[in-house]
Amino acid sequence: MIKDNASEVLKVQGLTATVDNREILCGIDLSVRAGEVHAIMGPNGSGKSTFAKVLVGHPAYEVTGGMVRFDDADLLELSPEDRARRGVFLGFQYPVEVPGVTNGGFLRLAYNTVQSARGKEELDPLEFDDFIREKMELLEMDPGFLERSLNAGFSGGEKKRNEILQMALLEPRLSILDETDSGLDIDALRIVANGVNQLHTSEDAIVLVTHYQRLLNYIEPDYVHVMENGRIIKTGDKGLALQLEDRGYDWVAQEYRERAA
Amino acid sequence: MSTVESNPVESDFLASLLAPAAQTAEGHDLWLKARRASALERASALSVPTTRDEDWRFTDLSMLYRLKLKAADAGGQVDSAILTTLMFPEATTRLVFVDGHFDRSASSIAQEEKVRVGNLEQALRDSAWRSTLGEVESRLATVARVEHDVFAAANTAFLREAAIVHVAAGAQLGDTPIQVINVATGHATGSNPRVLVVAGQGSGCTVIEDYVAVGGSAYFTNSVCEIAIGPDAEVHHIKLQREADTAFHIANTTVLMQDNSRYRNWSVGVGGRISRHNLHVVQDGTGIDCDMHGLAMISGRQLADTHSSVDHALPYGASRQVHKTIAGGSAHAVFNGKILVREGAQQTNSSQQSRNLLLSQRAKVDTKPQLEIFADDVKCAHGATVGQIAADEVFYLKSRGLSETAARNLLTYAFAKEVVEHIPVASVIAVLENHILEQTRTKEA
Amino acid sequence: MSAVIQNLVNQPYKHGFHTDIESDIVPKGLNEDVVRVISAKKREPDWLLEFRLKAFRHWQTMIEPEWPNVKYPKIDFQDISYYSAPRPKATKKSMDEVDPELLRTFEKLGVPMHERAALAGVAVDVVFDSVSVTTTYKEKLAEVGIIFCSFSEAVRDHPELVKQYLGSVVPHTDNFYAALNSAVFSDGSFCYIPKGVKCPMDLSTYFRINTQDTGQFERTLIIAEEGGQVSYLEGCTAPQFDTNQLHAAVVELIALDNAEIKYSTVQNWYAGDEEGKGGIYNFVTKRGLCKGFNSKISWTQVETGSAITWKYPSCVLLGDNSVGEFYSVALTNHHQQADTGTKMVHVGKNTRSRIISKGISAGLSNNSYRGLVKIGARADGARNYSQCDSMLIGDLCGAHTFPYLQVANKTATVEHEASTSKIGEEQLFYFSSRGIETEEAVSMIINGFVRDVFIHLPMEFAVEATKLLGLKLEGSVG
Repeated sequence: MIKDNASEVLKVQGLTATVDNREILCGIDLSVRAGEVHAIMGPNGSGKSTFAKVLVGHPAYEVTGGMVRFDDADLLELSPEDRARRGVFLGFQYPVEVPGVTNGGFLRLAYNTVQSARGKEELDPLEFDDFIREKMELLEMDPGFLERSLNAGFSGGEKKRNEILQMALLEPRLSILDETDSGLDIDALRIVANGVNQLHTSEDAIVLVTHYQRLLNYIEPDYVHVMENGRIIKTGDKGLALQLEDRGYDWVAQEYRERAA
Repeated sequence: MSTVESNPVESDFLASLLAPAAQTAEGHDLWLKARRASALERASALSVPTTRDEDWRFTDLSMLYRLKLKAADAGGQVDSAILTTLMFPEATTRLVFVDGHFDRSASSIAQEEKVRVGNLEQALRDSAWRSTLGEVESRLATVARVEHDVFAAANTAFLREAAIVHVAAGAQLGDTPIQVINVATGHATGSNPRVLVVAGQGSGCTVIEDYVAVGGSAYFTNSVCEIAIGPDAEVHHIKLQREADTAFHIANTTVLMQDNSRYRNWSVGVGGRISRHNLHVVQDGTGIDCDMHGLAMISGRQLADTHSSVDHALPYGASRQVHKTIAGGSAHAVFNGKILVREGAQQTNSSQQSRNLLLSQRAKVDTKPQLEIFADDVKCAHGATVGQIAADEVFYLKSRGLSETAARNLLTYAFAKEVVEHIPVASVIAVLENHILEQTRTKEA
Repeated sequence: MSAVIQNLVNQPYKHGFHTDIESDIVPKGLNEDVVRVISAKKREPDWLLEFRLKAFRHWQTMIEPEWPNVKYPKIDFQDISYYSAPRPKATKKSMDEVDPELLRTFEKLGVPMHERAALAGVAVDVVFDSVSVTTTYKEKLAEVGIIFCSFSEAVRDHPELVKQYLGSVVPHTDNFYAALNSAVFSDGSFCYIPKGVKCPMDLSTYFRINTQDTGQFERTLIIAEEGGQVSYLEGCTAPQFDTNQLHAAVVELIALDNAEIKYSTVQNWYAGDEEGKGGIYNFVTKRGLCKGFNSKISWTQVETGSAITWKYPSCVLLGDNSVGEFYSVALTNHHQQADTGTKMVHVGKNTRSRIISKGISAGLSNNSYRGLVKIGARADGARNYSQCDSMLIGDLCGAHTFPYLQVANKTATVEHEASTSKIGEEQLFYFSSRGIETEEAVSMIINGFVRDVFIHLPMEFAVEATKLLGLKLEGSVG
């Protein structure tokens, strides 16, 4: 939903980043406004997952240049936990397994930490239980999930649903979903997409990082960006995603090189 | 194996074991002579193990020590028809050793570019070997450590004849295995079979190390097998121990691996009154991958003992081990498996499973899988189970019309088959499966 | 990142104070005369002196065990004082007469003694250096026939029980340190649960080593008659000295038909400083005998202290259908070494045992699990399940697992599983991306790791143990 007067949630300018002294992001520009859904597509190794992780402050990546503004804050100055508390959320491509820590306990701790940072009320275990069950229904999740260890032994689909459940809990202003569709069968994909659509309002923004067009049949993007070699080389509407599905990525790169030459 | 005073039976045994080695001083190259001499010195300084040694707690060799062994000066006569039945048709190259002595007429060596296979004694004199002798010299009797292993030291003290397999860099033998057959003729002989495999950079080969018997009375096989695997090389090693039920079989397998090499081992032991396999894998490089599949299937009064160690010294190594034992009658299965992850061997991924099946009331098993970990970014798991065939599985098969015995045999067979079925030589699988089937039929207690 | 974790695990020892109390100390050294002096000081009957002397003579023929995976300089057994007691002012009639300095010591330790004991509803026996100083709630327990007193009192008041059971589970010949203890033990706790009685409250002993260069050799004996039930808690602390002190206790448990004993330990002896100087050598023999049909003995331990721990609380499952359990958390940091685990010896039919062991290694420490599961030939239908997990914090520590499975019965089922994990950067990042601080994440991961064991601790102890792990593993984020 594009609205001309919507506030800008995220502004990225000339962002560069390295891992082990290798440059992975080579100058990214992006503007995301409230209410919008952006899709970032590109072949493997184009830097799209790195971009997602840099936005949430993953310690493996070093930002070497550019700036990122999130609402009124300089995002790059904030620690990962402060970014989360202010409303930046990453749905991980590979959520880590933490044996021994119960999913329910973890979710409540995350929820209460973020709530208290936002000056809102924390919930005691019983209240939280009611609250979370309601959210779980949205994602058609069994309450038994709460008793299991955090992501440990979860199937790929269960992990992804658990990520979206956290998105539902933490009510982020900016959600970055990294390859949320990978490893999902068609039913799970429908459930996850449906959940994301229901959570999305005119007050928040979503960035989908994805390899395939498939997810975009369910979550309709306002903008589609194509990344290659650490840069956004083309931006269009959802029609671009369909073109990519048909023709692959090579022609975009070709076009970009011709333009550059 | 400490150097404390041992009792007369033990020290007499060691003295008589080593005596022939000291007598024969004439020899070939100086380096080999020196290695024999220092091994003899070491073996004489050590004493033979007893159940007082932690590593030999369950394996009592006193019966071996009471044997009056004689060294086999030459190999006994073996009927060629019998030998033929022992050969695996896929192997076009076969080396036959009888009582530790090379039998040229029974052997056949396919000439392959970049691959040298033969007996050490000839190799030292043959000009065709000249370019590879340097590597043989650097690996032979240096891969296996003898400082604390009296049996490996004794073997080395006799080192004259040995099966040598040298695969030059880049040579791929594909699915054609090399079979080394060690035949024992029995009659209270002691023999010291020896194998060396050197796989050059990026090469690949499959070696079958086979111990068989044609005689019946008590005898002693004391073998050492050294395998040096160069960078990016892959060795498949199948060790078959099909000794007589009267045999004492003590074997040392030591594998030294370099960067990104792969080693796959299948060790199957079915024979021997008392058998012991010491299997050491040293990952001396990064990105090394090894897996080991062991099976001991014993009955009567047999004892089968496997002591293995995997030494992860550098990062990105992986190892997987499954060791299975099936013990019927009054048999005793022993397993001790050690996984060592040294400081700095980050990103090691290691798993070890000890699975044991007891078929009779008098059979027993002692197993000790152990992890020693000094690096923090590792994934290691081990497990051990001891049990009998699951009653509900037997019931399920019976509900499909099988008799109790047939159901049990089938499940025992399935338990063993898991180890055997991925051996890359079809005829080896067939022989072993037949053997397992026979065992389950006749030796069920 | 590793600097953060290093900070988290480097917490100073909070029980490291020394109390100035006049003590009655036997000079250093060990010979038959010292054994006689100890026995005489305690006014012991002849049969007990004989027991000690027999043990001492046997001990002289033994050598120190070298098989544990721990390294320390040879102990000079002649450089240790084998008896130290707070000098008695007069015979105490009530708690109010206990040396106030001593009471303050236990207050600092958080021992629920005095009125606090009444509030907490726990009966406490306190052993200071080698001598039991006070036992609370004695009368109330006596009403239901339970005897809970110091070992010395038991020798005086219930000699027939002590005589019958002392050394029946851990004979004086059992091992080097058990023999030493049998010769020189000074005091400890004694507990007797009569037939059919369920102990109405948790029983508790606090042990403290106060004097430098003394060894502590306490002896604990717990007997639960047919159908009796008891839950017993034990806590341990010591002041900071830069010499090593020896603690060699023996604990014997006996459970008769349908009886149940639950024994929980939180061990926080002084572990030495960051360079590994000082600290307690904790060489302890604990063993329970499930003598009766359907009896049950359960050990739960939280081991966070001591320079060296060498301890295998064990169960001998003699009675048919008896059950043995072992739940353990062992945490080592700096230069600490722990070689701990259990032995489950299945003798009777349908006996069951369960082992859950969690080892946490940090700093330069070494943490070993060593466990034996032995199924005898007559133990038809015996079952064991063991799970041993290790967690490594930092890359300079070691975690080791040595399970011994010895099975001589085909109807037995024995399963052992082990795994090793770490607190990794990716895990911590996942938490921080959800707004959770690193410190809180570490504590949550550790608590999750030990949860399977902590649920078996009595509530009081679980709270204390959680705090203790927190103390050892949390702190300022650097």
